This record gives sequence, structure tokens and C-alpha cells, in this order.
Amino acid sequence: MKKRTIVLLIAVVIGLFVLASAAFTVDQTQKAIVIQLGRPVGSKELGPGLHFKLPLVQNVVFFDARILDFDANPEEITTTDKKYMEVDSYTKWRIVDPLTFYTKVRTIQGARARLDDIVRSQLRVALGRYTLIEVVSHKRKEIMGAVTTRSAELLASYGIEVIDVRIKRTDLPAENERSIFGRMKAERERQAKQYRSEGREASARLIATADKERSIILADANKQAEIVRGEGDGLATKIYADALGQSPEFYAFTRSLEAYRKGFDANSRFILTPKSPFLDYMQ
Amino acid sequence: MNWDWEKLQKQQQGRPGGKPPSFDDFQDQFDKFKKFKLPGWKLIIPLIFLLWIASGFYIVEPDEVGVVKQFGQFLRITTAGPNYHIPFPVQSVLTPKVTQIRRIEFGFRSVGRARTQNFQQGASREVKEESLMLTGDENILSVQFIVQYMIKDAENYLFNVNDPEQTLAHAGEAAMREIIGKGKIDAALTTGKQEIQVETRILMQEILDKYETGLSVVAVQMQNVHPPDDVIDAFKDVASAREDKSRFINEAEAYQRDILPKARGEAARIVNAAQAYREAKVRKAEGDAARFLSVLAEYNKAKDITRRRLYIETMEQIFANPEVEKLIMSDDALKKSVPYLPLEKLPKRAPKAQQ
Repeated sequence: MKKRTIVLLIAVVIGLFVLASAAFTVDQTQKAIVIQLGRPVGSKELGPGLHFKLPLVQNVVFFDARILDFDANPEEITTTDKKYMEVDSYTKWRIVDPLTFYTKVRTIQGARARLDDIVRSQLRVALGRYTLIEVVSHKRKEIMGAVTTRSAELLASYGIEVIDVRIKRTDLPAENERSIFGRMKAERERQAKQYRSEGREASARLIATADKERSIILADANKQAEIVRGEGDGLATKIYADALGQSPEFYAFTRSLEAYRKGFDANSRFILTPKSPFLDYMQ
Repeated sequence: MNWDWEKLQKQQQGRPGGKPPSFDDFQDQFDKFKKFKLPGWKLIIPLIFLLWIASGFYIVEPDEVGVVKQFGQFLRITTAGPNYHIPFPVQSVLTPKVTQIRRIEFGFRSVGRARTQNFQQGASREVKEESLMLTGDENILSVQFIVQYMIKDAENYLFNVNDPEQTLAHAGEAAMREIIGKGKIDAALTTGKQEIQVETRILMQEILDKYETGLSVVAVQMQNVHPPDDVIDAFKDVASAREDKSRFINEAEAYQRDILPKARGEAARIVNAAQAYREAKVRKAEGDAARFLSVLAEYNKAKDITRRRLYIETMEQIFANPEVEKLIMSDDALKKSVPYLPLEKLPKRAPKAQQ
């Protein structure tokens, strides 16, 4: 009885040990293949979960099943209009066939080298067909699509799926940047000048219009004033003529007398003869 | 798999175990060992077992979900509250915070602040290699923006992409540059911001969905969009030129509004003065005429005498002035002695002050 228990216990311990070295888990983020003495066993990769292998003779190689990132170094590329630009791209890729991947590139490092070669050259080819502004602006999507498709085709044989090649940054070399800054500055200076002269133009226009209006207003007023004065003068003349016309002789007489009164003042000097009617009674 | 686990198990179980060469010696030693250990045995084993069972309890906070894996494989999603999983090594649980809104900065870094905390304007530092981008009209613009995002699918977030945050950062840069690259610099600087934000958010989401990152872009917010430092003065000058323009116009309008009413006032004054003149003139004429007619009426009644009276009165008035010099000469004397009158030598009237 006791002996049996002990035997059982030892069996369990050994069993556990064997189990521990035979069992392995593949994480949700991984894929694995089993290698037996250097040769892959089976034709399919192992997905996530608990798996077993033969201890000692088989070993497991794990692969990342997630989408991986390949961030290339920025690269100087010539566009079709002979401009240089620095293109910084990244590639999203995934190991789809671990067996092929293992035999052809073995590691992620190896894959990066292939990606670097292929994506880089594809980018070069695609970008070389377009002008700088096309790359920056409306052809960007098209270019990225073409590079993705072509790279995916070329890398499929490595067990790699290229999901996306995307242009992250498109920068200009420092010299070009300087000339763009120069141009931007010139453009803005032109614009500023235009604004100011437009302002001056509008201002001059307004002032001139105002001056003109003022002149017209005053001239109109003067014209009207002359008309009114004329009316007054005319009316007055008529009134005088009507009244005085009744006796021009008397008017001439009284008016002369009045004129004498006003005209002869302190500085006047009269030499009268006795015949003057004024002296009629002096004799 | 080209080997059979069960067969192996059977092989091992069916092995003639329990008869190793020195089994008796071993058993003696084992007995000793057992006797020595025995006191705690019955207590420790269940205790360890209980602890192991208890380690399966976990709590999912309200802002989290529990993602349970069994032997590494995704098994189920659990929601907030206390939960249980079969303890290590069978099952394990991850609890990502799915309701939390995170943020990531592009083109600048807030100084002394963690990326996930609230943004505080001011304390930031520009990262030029991220912020400078080319626009569709071949200008360069500095764009600083933030992206707010959250986990919308914990399973994808945890298992699908290696470093989802880095992926988001890349996608954000690529998307913003693509959108800015399509537009013109003035739109990005002025009225086009809203549109750019929306388009960038949509594009980013498209990219992230393509990679099945399990991330959701909540908002893209442009923070500081300005021309690069090298040209900013020229841009500022354009703004002040625009101000100058409206200033010039305003000044001219002010001038206009100043002189025109003045001119209208002056015009009214001129016209009124003329009217006053007319009225005065007419009234004077009427007065004069009335006066004349009155006098004439009386004159007609006694012509001679009135004539005479008027003449004498007038002459009287003239001669009454003591300063008027009067000289009476007979006709003969005048004819004889004054053929030439030395007007200059006649005494002038003395100045009034000496009188």
C-alpha cells in the first residue's frame, strides 16, 4: 500500500516533468512552428493555445503574429521634376507563413533587411514618376497604393504580407527649404504691399470723392445764393421802379437833395454867388 | 503533429516503474523524510491549494474590460465587477482601460507632463521634424496638433498590432501630412482648420481600422498652426498690412464724414445768407417806396412850397455844419478876380485834435 503510493507519486512527478518539457503555450500574439532536429515538423504553423512536442528532439520557434512595424530611415529621392525630397516611410507587415519565413529569412531582423531593400526601391521607382508637388499633394494615395501592391507581391514569397506602405513625412533638403522660405517671404511681402497700396488707393479714392462732393455742395450753395440774391435785387428794382415811376421828376429832386446832404461834408467848400437861390433873401 | 501524447502517457504509465535498483535504500530515506515533515503536511497542501484557487479572483474596474486568455489563447471578455478565472498557468487575465481617453501630441511636447494627462497650453516645446510639413501649394507650415483616442476593441488592441500607440503616432503623422499636402497654406492657417481636423480624423481611423488596431480616434485638434519661424515675420506683416489697409480706408471715411457735413452746413449758411439778403433788399425797397409815395402824395398837393421847403432844409443842413467852408462872392468879383483859383493854397481844414 505504502509502496504503491510512493510509486504513484514518483510517476506523477516524472509525468509532470515530462509534461512540462513537452507542453508549451503559444500566446494570442504568436505563431509557432516545431522543429525536429533542424527540420520543420508538419506543414502548418501552430496558433495560440496549448501544444505539445517531443522533449529533447523537438524544439519550438515562435513568431510574432501581430502586425509589425518597419520604420525606414528617411531617404533622399529625386522626383521627375528633378527636385530632391526626403521621404520617411513606414511599412506595416505581418508574418503569414512562418514556415517559409523561417526558411527564407529566419528572423525579424532578416525580414527588415528584405523590406528595406524592396520597399526602398519600390518607393524610388514610384516617386520618380511624379513631380514633387504631385507627391506631396494629390498623387500621394495613388503612390502609396502602388508601392504597397508591388511590395506585397515581391515579399509574398518570403512568407511576409505587406499590409501598408505609407509615406509619413515628405521633407525638403535644407537648401530647398531655404529657397521655399525665400519664396514664401517674397510672396507675403508682395501680398503685404498689395494690401497697403489697395488701402491707399481706396483711401485716396474716398478722399477725392469727398472733396469733390464738398466742392459741389458749396458751388451749388453759391449758385443758389446768387439766384436768390438776384431775385432780391430784381424784386427791389421793380418795387423802386413802380414807386418812383409815379414821379421821376420828384424823385430826381428829392434824391438829389439827399445826395447833396450826404455828399457835402466837413471837407466841402462852397463858393456862393448872390445869385444862388439859397441867398435869394440875403440881398 | 506526428506524435501522440496519449500513447506517450500510456507508455510512461505502463512502464515497469517502482523497481529501480536501490529502491529499498531510497524508501528508508523517504520514510525518515516523511516522518520529519509529517506535522505540517496535511495543513500546508490544502492551504497552498486554496491560495492557488483564490489567485483566480480578479476585479474589473468600471473603466476596464477583462480579457481572459487560456494557455495564451484569447478566451473571453469579462465586464466590470468581480470575476474568476482558472489560476495560473491555465488562464490569465489582462485588464486594459477602455473608456479612458488618451492623448498624443504631434509637433510639440508639453513640458513636464505625461502624455496621457490634460493639456496645458503654454508649457510646450516644438518638435520641428514633426511639425514642419509641406502644403499643396509648395509652402511649409508648422502644425502642432493632438489626437485623442481610446480603445474600442480590447481584443484587437492587445493581440493584433505590435505597439498600437506607435502605430497611432505613425498614422497620425501620415494622415495629417496627407491632408495638409492636399490643401493650401492659407486654408490651414485660417478657415480650413475644422475641415482639416475632420478629414484627418477620418483618414486616421481608416488607417487604424486597416491595421485592426482596436483604437478609435475620438478627436484631432490642431493646437498651434503657424508659418515656420524663418518666415513668420513676413506673415505677421501681411496681417498688419491687412490692418493698415482697413485703417487707411477708415481714416478716409472719417475724413469724408468730417468734411461733408461741414460742407453741407456751409452751404446752408451761404443759401440762408442769400435769402436774408433778398428779404432785406426787398423790404428795404418796399420801405423806401412807401416812404417815397407818402411824400409824393403830399408833394403833389403843394408842389412849389414843398419843393422850396425841401431845398432850403437841405441846404440848411449842409451849411449848418460849422466845418463846411462857405465863401460868398459876387458874380463880378468872381469873373474878374478869380480866373484861377489856387485851390492848394486855400486854408485846409485844421485837424480836429487842434480845434
